[in-house]
Amino acid sequence: MSPDLLSVEGLRVGFRSADGGIVEAVRGVDFSVAPGEAVGIVGESGSGKSLSMLAVMRLLVAPARVTGGRVLFDGEDLLAADERRMRALRGRDIAMVFQDPQSSLNPALTIGRQITDVVRAHRGVSSAEARRIAAEALERVGIRDAGRRLASYPHEFSGGMRQRALIAMAIACRPRLLIADEPTTALDVTVQAQIVDLIAELRRELGLAVVFISHNLQLVAEIVDRVVVMYGGKVVEDGPVEAIELAPRHPYTSLLKACVPSLSGPVGPLTAIEGAPPRLGRLPIGCPFSPRCPDAIEPCLSEMPPLVTEAGHRSACWRPR
Amino acid sequence: MTGPILSLRGVSKSFPQGGMLDRLLGRDGRLVALDAVSLDVMRGDVVGIVGESGSGKSTLAGLAVGLVRPTTGDVLLDGQPMAELMRDHAGPWRRRVQMVFQDSSSALNPRKSVARCLGETLALRGVPKAQCESEIAELLTLVGLGPEIGPRLPHELSGGQRQRIGLARALAMKPEVLIADEPVSALDVSLQAQVINLLSRLTRELGLTLLFISHDLALVRTLCSRIVVMRKGLIVEQGPCLDVLDRPQHPYTQALIAAVPKGLAGRRTPLPVRAADAAAIPETREDIHGAA
Repeated sequence: MSPDLLSVEGLRVGFRSADGGIVEAVRGVDFSVAPGEAVGIVGESGSGKSLSMLAVMRLLVAPARVTGGRVLFDGEDLLAADERRMRALRGRDIAMVFQDPQSSLNPALTIGRQITDVVRAHRGVSSAEARRIAAEALERVGIRDAGRRLASYPHEFSGGMRQRALIAMAIACRPRLLIADEPTTALDVTVQAQIVDLIAELRRELGLAVVFISHNLQLVAEIVDRVVVMYGGKVVEDGPVEAIELAPRHPYTSLLKACVPSLSGPVGPLTAIEGAPPRLGRLPIGCPFSPRCPDAIEPCLSEMPPLVTEAGHRSACWRPR
Repeated sequence: MTGPILSLRGVSKSFPQGGMLDRLLGRDGRLVALDAVSLDVMRGDVVGIVGESGSGKSTLAGLAVGLVRPTTGDVLLDGQPMAELMRDHAGPWRRRVQMVFQDSSSALNPRKSVARCLGETLALRGVPKAQCESEIAELLTLVGLGPEIGPRLPHELSGGQRQRIGLARALAMKPEVLIADEPVSALDVSLQAQVINLLSRLTRELGLTLLFISHDLALVRTLCSRIVVMRKGLIVEQGPCLDVLDRPQHPYTQALIAAVPKGLAGRRTPLPVRAADAAAIPETREDIHGAA
């Protein structure tokens, strides 16, 4: 078996609260990504999915900080790396695409300048060569007339084109890992489908490993090999996409699937998950989902179930389905 | 036979485009958000209005609730033109058509408690002060909240609770028509179903007419009896919800349906064969039948 490209072990992220204590938002998260593998991280707001990946990129902003764990990229502990080393890795070996393409681009610089800046920072090439690489990357993400489009400003692009430009920037240096944090949430559905297809295609052709963060399980299931489900700062389930889709073990995963309606089948009241997602700082001692879980029994509320692995499928539940 | 409760007759809405300099130089254009749209909504209908950004669906919502005035054309409530009902003030229209907004945190005044917010709405309807308290409790029960929510401020509520308050405030006017503009798109997935089920139940129990503006076709399918598909300011297709979604006629409707994420069923690329599985899959005919 090939060694993991990214391995996150016992990662914890906390915020310093007003009273001097630490409020933990990511509470011991483990998962790994093999070279070329596509992994979806699914969770609702506050589940810790974005914070975990920002921690991996070392992009957390105070008062958030890593309070424990290790992040190994190709065997190197990123949490121990200095800022210079991180700057060399970011954009070259690990690239990230964010939710809002508008705010990820500098409105005062042309698209071409913003891509060539990244290329020149990481590859010692001439500016002419950098422009060629940038044009190639833009073309690669499906922007027509790429050479001329380098001179465009972000406001001249539509939302979908801006996200394509950001993906072009991300792949221009041929990274081994692409982290996409809700890359389609701000886009229309038809554009969303195109961007998701593009990421799947790039991954196949460039051999990229992909971490796709989303609140939409149905969306990630279309393109990933494995799904990690997070709730209340913990991984509650992690398994092959078929297993998560067809035979989820954690009640949260199966309810999450049930509460999203589909375009086929009978029409009726939706399955609702009662209650609301837990608030940070008021997380239950036991399973974070226990207050809302219809299957909860005594140990669920008082003791956190361990992540149990069975046939490559992990779940943390006292009463798995 | 009664006529439609709400109708749009050849309604267009355009907005000026460009800055002051453009206007001075005569270069200004107009952005046409809605282009001669006609639509009849019957009493008790639950109509889903779908389309992408720029389709004009939110402009249509604004017109229906009277926040946006048409550039040309008429909006009618129970046969009475908007201009007539709003001649002196917007009150008579607003009392009968209410709206629930997308972003519940900006739709509520952050400095007013839930009880005060609902109390002010009740006062507008002319409910005497003495009755307010019991009506507030009733409204809260109606949207599935307890009386303990009354003294709280919006920031002390969860997103789902805030959206229920937005709904309670709209219902406080005892409207005939309710317009909900993307009411659950800012909510977490696990909360959406709660609010949709609530909307569905209240629409039925109170005999409301509902215009549900959304980009989520599957939610519209769950909630609505009719669907209106919009694109670039035009209605491209409309009809009974299940008919349109099962047999879409317009290419744009077909494209919208095709773009809905469908999980495993929607995979356009085959599942990768993992190393472990690959070992178990026979490679050639010889592997299966043994070397001949």
